[in-house]
This record gives sequence, structure tokens and C-alpha cells, in this order.
Amino acid sequence: MRLTVLAVGPLGIGLPLDASKEGWRIDEMINVTSLFVGVIFAIMIVWMGWSILRHGPKHRADFDHGERRSSWIWTVATAGLIFVVVDGDLLVRTLVSVNRIYWNFDWAERQPDAVRLEINAHQWAWQVRYAGPDGAFNTPDDVVTLNEVVLPKDAPALFQIASTDVIHSFNVPNMRMKVDAVPGTINRMWFTPALLGDYEIGCAQHCGANHYKMQGVLHVVDPAQFRDWLAAASANSLQGYDAQDNSAHWGWSWAENTRMK
Amino acid sequence: MIAEDQLDREALEALQPIHHQPDTFFSKYIWSLDHKVIAKQYLWAGLIFFLVGGTLAMLIRWQWAYPGQPVPLLGKILFRDSGGVIGPAQYMQVFTMHGLIMIFFAVTPILIGAFGNFCIPLQIGARDMAFPWLNALSFWVFALALCLVIGSFFGDLGAAGAGWTTYPPLSTNVGTPGSGQTLMVAAIFVTGVSSIMGGINYVTTVIRLRAPGMTYLRMPLTVWGLFLTAVLNVLFVPVLGSAALLLFLDRVFGTQFYLAGAATQGGGDPILFQHLFWIFGHPEVYILILPAWGIVSDLVAWFSRKPANWYKGSVLSMVAVTALSAVVYGHHMFMTGVNPMLGQGFMILTLIISIPAELLFLNWLRTIWKGSIRLTTPMLFALGMVFVFGLGGLTGLYLGAVAPDFYLHDTMFVVGHFHFTMAAASVMASFAGIYFWFPKMFGRTTSELWGKTHFWFTLLGFLVVFGGQLLAGYSGQHRRLYDPFAYQYVQPLRALNRYTSWAAFALFFGQLAFVWNFFHSLIRGPKAEANPWHVGTLEWSIPSPPPVHNFDHLPIVRRGPHELSDPRVHARLGRDWIGQAEVLPDERDVPATAPARG
Repeated sequence: MRLTVLAVGPLGIGLPLDASKEGWRIDEMINVTSLFVGVIFAIMIVWMGWSILRHGPKHRADFDHGERRSSWIWTVATAGLIFVVVDGDLLVRTLVSVNRIYWNFDWAERQPDAVRLEINAHQWAWQVRYAGPDGAFNTPDDVVTLNEVVLPKDAPALFQIASTDVIHSFNVPNMRMKVDAVPGTINRMWFTPALLGDYEIGCAQHCGANHYKMQGVLHVVDPAQFRDWLAAASANSLQGYDAQDNSAHWGWSWAENTRMK
Repeated sequence: MIAEDQLDREALEALQPIHHQPDTFFSKYIWSLDHKVIAKQYLWAGLIFFLVGGTLAMLIRWQWAYPGQPVPLLGKILFRDSGGVIGPAQYMQVFTMHGLIMIFFAVTPILIGAFGNFCIPLQIGARDMAFPWLNALSFWVFALALCLVIGSFFGDLGAAGAGWTTYPPLSTNVGTPGSGQTLMVAAIFVTGVSSIMGGINYVTTVIRLRAPGMTYLRMPLTVWGLFLTAVLNVLFVPVLGSAALLLFLDRVFGTQFYLAGAATQGGGDPILFQHLFWIFGHPEVYILILPAWGIVSDLVAWFSRKPANWYKGSVLSMVAVTALSAVVYGHHMFMTGVNPMLGQGFMILTLIISIPAELLFLNWLRTIWKGSIRLTTPMLFALGMVFVFGLGGLTGLYLGAVAPDFYLHDTMFVVGHFHFTMAAASVMASFAGIYFWFPKMFGRTTSELWGKTHFWFTLLGFLVVFGGQLLAGYSGQHRRLYDPFAYQYVQPLRALNRYTSWAAFALFFGQLAFVWNFFHSLIRGPKAEANPWHVGTLEWSIPSPPPVHNFDHLPIVRRGPHELSDPRVHARLGRDWIGQAEVLPDERDVPATAPARG
């Protein structure tokens, strides 16, 4: 399968294509910070170069016992400026975006078109579960897939993620989002896919020898296509349901885990 | 001379009588109580394991440049069963052992073990550490930990493989069975015991054995860095010890402190380990960087021939970092499902800790301004450290904030960031220190030509290798991937990874310049003078190498550590430096309690 083409620069360097509705805030934060960092770094290079090349052994050092008022005022003022501008920018942007978007699960839960998924990670695959038409998890009409996530375009996708064995991390770089899958805990994340296509899912947390193989694919499709797929898959599930197969019933009740921990 | 200082000196000399010279091989080189010999023991141990850790790094870089191809030279010995190819299970052992060895068994012994032991007593004017016997014990306990590390390589299922962070349940028998991982957990515990003993010794020595007149604000910044590192070691290594001990119990005695989830049915909590680990682990970053900051702060002043800019500010910054170091650790856990309130709190604290680091950094920049820069090898390495630490610090900004971390967490960007700080900056400072104190340690002079060759290989190597990691991470490449190109979106980064690896190989082989310089100077180097760098701290007022008891008479300190280019000194002595314990011909007596500088 060919994945959706990714935006890359020379040597492949560059942020992967942002296919989510919310990811631009992260990209903007990274790029603005890079700009600040670039400017500070350039000043540092010029400053160091000038100091070293201009005032070698032939220059007699300006005597300054280093404790003058100007010595510390200059330092404190420069550090203060950098802190307010660079750190301040990051802080404000992050506080706003995290509270309004990335960790605002309540808002996402309230959206009528939100899609809910449960992910159970194990060495070395992702089990994915949709509630099916009845809206309840761990029931016979659940749709269960392996390493494959199908999502409708433009609808918030809410994930609850756990792990069976060791810690994994569910990562979708094209959606700019990841969260750890921790045994004994259910973690949450959400994003809204905004571009049709197929995107890679990876495990970001070292989880053993085959960590690098713990991959999945996210298909972003039209909402109508998604409804059809889900209905067909659910009908299949009902047919193949085995009440005795306990290992297949790993899902959990959604509602109990939606409150803020 | 002031009567009070005189009395102090008598009391301190009575406290530190001159003992017999050790006369057997055993008491001279093996169980030596001399802090200078113990420093060298740590140095040798650290350098040997630096080579081991570096070799492991080359294997990682080989795998990223040429995944699945046989490793030249070493492959036939290390990976005989697979025809020289690194397998996925072996690969995880390689990066795990690389991280653990470099942090605990290479950089720690050099920066803290070697410089801490060598510099503290000499620079504060003491005849030895407060507890010489405990000092020897800490080294030999550390040596025991080294044996466990070597043992881990011969574990029944290979060496430790759960990553240097050793997160459970992966690091328990669920994820990494076998004696290799168990031995490594034990090694961390044992080296922790050694660090705590060393820390207690350093802290006591600095508090109790400063020469008369050596007020806290007259201590070289090297001593400040080492002192604060020792404080952090005493406070936080016990937390690491407890984390490692519980993990050991889980592995060996079947407890379930860290086990949870369907597969294990354990009633423990894997995240508990992460809290314990990072309460130690974040201060550990500062444990490794504070001595580096101290050494570099001193070196840039000495080789700019200027007093350090705002010395008190540098001290204050280092104290502030020490105080804040344990309350920022949560930024390592933004992705673990942390409570959003807690996550944002840790973010704010993390951004705040950047202020003291900025102050310190700006002090260095202002110290070198309009100086009389001497580009000796130690100065080059110190300036190189400033440079790479600048990059490391700036790239930390992205990771300290929650939102960019959603994308950057667990990518090569993190790897590049912490290698610039913990690896490049700490190692550059270590080399600066080795070149600077080599004449005092071994009584011989190193070659400037080889030193400078070594510097350029190291600086350019670090910049390209860790810069390449930053770029790969920015483009989305995860860390700890056996074959990063299993991901299609990483495939365009093949060339970048390969070029970065070439730079890493050059960096590795460039270290041969250091090996040659070190051994050649040790045997053939010209005899060193007492004060080849024209610096005023106390270690340069005694012969190179110093006698076993350091000071025949304890010095009475009269001024700060960077009194350089003072016109009054120049007028009277005809040189641009003055010793900390030196008296100007017409100088009035100043009581030790008077303000230190200015």
C-alpha cells in the first residue's frame, strides 16, 4: 500500500504532512520557536566569534572585577528578555492550546459526530475496537481490527488506550498526537483527521525487540464510506461472535473512563 | 597576618596531620587513601568505559546507516551467530548498555569521581578528603558495579535491553528475562551506593575543610559545581536506589511493585517507577552538567584573563538550578496520561528553570567579551562546551512545553537534545578539565597540536552527529528503532542517517588524537611547571604533581579565584594574575569575613 505523500525538504528533512485539524498549532509553535532559537543562536555565534577573534593574547583584557552594577543588570535583563519573549510565547500558546484543544476531552466528548475507539496494545500490535451500532463497548456488535484504524474525515476521533503487557505509545505523526499505552491504566487522546489518505501509526515507546515492527495504518475516509464500512464490519462481527472466547472481550466501558483523572 | 586566620590554620592543620607516605604498591596504587590517586583511578575507569560506550554507539550508528548489513571488524566477534549482523534483540541491548554505561560508568566517574576527588581538596586548600577511607571505599564499590556491568554482557539471554530508563514492565521478567538485565539493575544500585558515599564525602569536605579565608564566595566555580552535584547525589541517588531495589525484587523475588495489566495480573503500578526514576533522573541531568558548568565558568575566566562576570550570579544560578532540579521532572512524563493540571504545572516549572541556566550562559558570554583570549586546548574545549550547551539548552525549550511534546516526545529530537547537553557539553567539559589539570595530575605537559586536532574532531563531530539527530527527530523519526526505515515516512531520511553515521565514525576515530596525546604525554611529555596556565587557584601554588599531603602549610586565602588583569597587581608584581593566598607587598590585612570580592 502506498501512503499519502509527505511533505519533505532536502535530505527528507521537514515536518511530515499535517493531516489533522488541530496539528497546525503544534507546527506553528515549533516553527516560531525555531525562529527565536535561530536568532539567539546566530547572535551567540557572532558574539563568540567577535570576542575570540577580536581580542586575542595581544589585547590587554579590560579589567572589570565582574561585580559592577552593569555586570549583573546586563545579564539579568538579557535573560529576562529571552524568558519573556521565547518561553513566554511557548507558555501562552501551550496553555491556550492544551486547555482549549489537546486536553479538552470534554469538548470532544460532546461533539455529536465524535468517533470513539478503544485501543489495546500488546507486543507487538494494536488491537482496535469500535462500539458498533449499539454504542456500547465489549458487546457482540463491536468491530475489532488489528493494526488498522478507519476514521471519517472531519469528525473528532476519541481514543481510550491501554496495554496488556508493557508500556507502548500510540503515535500518529501526521496527526501530531501520541499517548502512552500503560498496563493497568486507560489513557486518552483525540484529534480530528482533516485530509483523506492513509497514514502510519507507530509505537513511540521502546517495547522490546520488535518495537520497530509495531506499526499500524490509519485510513481517513469520507463519512459515508466510514458508515458503510462500520455497518458491514459490525454485521461480520455479530456473525463471528464467540461468547466463550474471553481473550477477545478485552474492551471496557467507555463512560467510566471519561472523567478527568 | 590576622590572628584569627592563624588560629584557624592551626586548628585545621591539627585536624589534618601529615601521615606517613604510603610505601607499598598496594597502599600506593590499589587501596590508596590519597584523593589524587583515587581521582586517577576514577579517570582510568571512566576513560575505559567511555571507549566501551563509544564503541556501542558506533554499532547503533552502523545499524542506522546500513540496517541489516554485517558490521565490519567487530561483527565477526560480537555477532558471530548471525554472520556479523546485529539482530533486533542484540540491538536493544546495544543501545541500552550504551546509555547506561555512558551516563553512570563513563561521564559520572570522570566528571564527578575524577575531578571531584582531584579538585575539591586542592582548590579549597585541604590535605585530603574529610573521610579518606570512605573515599577509597566509594571507588572500590564503584569498581564492583563495573564488574556487574561486564557480567551483564555475558548474561544468559544477553545484556540488559530495556533501555537506559529501564521502564517496567519491560524491564521486569515480563519483557526482559535473563540475568543480563538483573545484573544491570544491581549495578545501578551498587554504583548508587558509591555515589552516595562519595557525595557525603564531598559535601563534608567542602563544608568543613576549607582553608582559612576560603569563604564560600571565594571558592572556584568548579568547586561550587562539584559541591552542588554532591548535594544532589546525596538527596536523589537514594531515590534511584529504591526504584532499582524494588525492580530487583520484582525480577528476582517475584514481587509485583511495577506489574499491572491483563498479561501479568499484577496489582502494582508501572508509572510509580517513572516517578521514582525521574525524581532522580532529572536532577541527574544537573548532576552531570553542574561540574561541567563549574569547570567551564572557571576556564573561560582564566583564559580570557578576566574575572568571571557576576560570579555571585553564577553561584546563585547553580544553587537555583539545584533547588529546582527535582520539581521539573514531570516533563519526562507528559505522555503517560498525567493529570493535565500537573502536566501544566511541570511545564511552567521547567520553563522557569531555564532562567538560571540563561544567567549562567550569559555570564560566560560576557566574561569572554573584551578579554585577552588564550586559545589553549582547555579553553577551546570550554568554548566548545559553551557552544554545544547553547544548542542543547535551546532545543530543550521545545520539549519543556506540553504541546510540541505531543509530536516530539520519543523522537530523535529528544535524543539530539539530551546528547547536546549530557553528552556533548559534559564530555567537552571533561576534556577541558583533563587537558587543564593534566600537568597537575601527572606532572607532564600535553601536546597542544594533538589537543587542538582532538578538539576539532570532537566539536565538528558532535555538531553533525547530534545535529543530524535533531533534524531526523524534527522529521518524525522515532528513537530506539532497530530499523527506522520500516516506517515509510522515515525512508526519505536514509541519506541523512547515513551522513550522520559517517560523522559519528569520524568523531570516534578522532578520539585517537586524545589517546595518543594522553599516553605520549604521560610517558614523554615535557615536565610541567607548578603553574603553567598562570592561574591563581590554590592547586597551582604547589608543585606538579603535588606531594601526598598537598600543602606543607595550609594556605590562608585572601581573594577570589579569578583575580586577573588587575592593574594594581600588574603594577606591583609585573604579571596579570595573583594567587588566591598571595599577599601583595603593601596590601593591608583583610579579615576573612570581609566581602569576598569587589
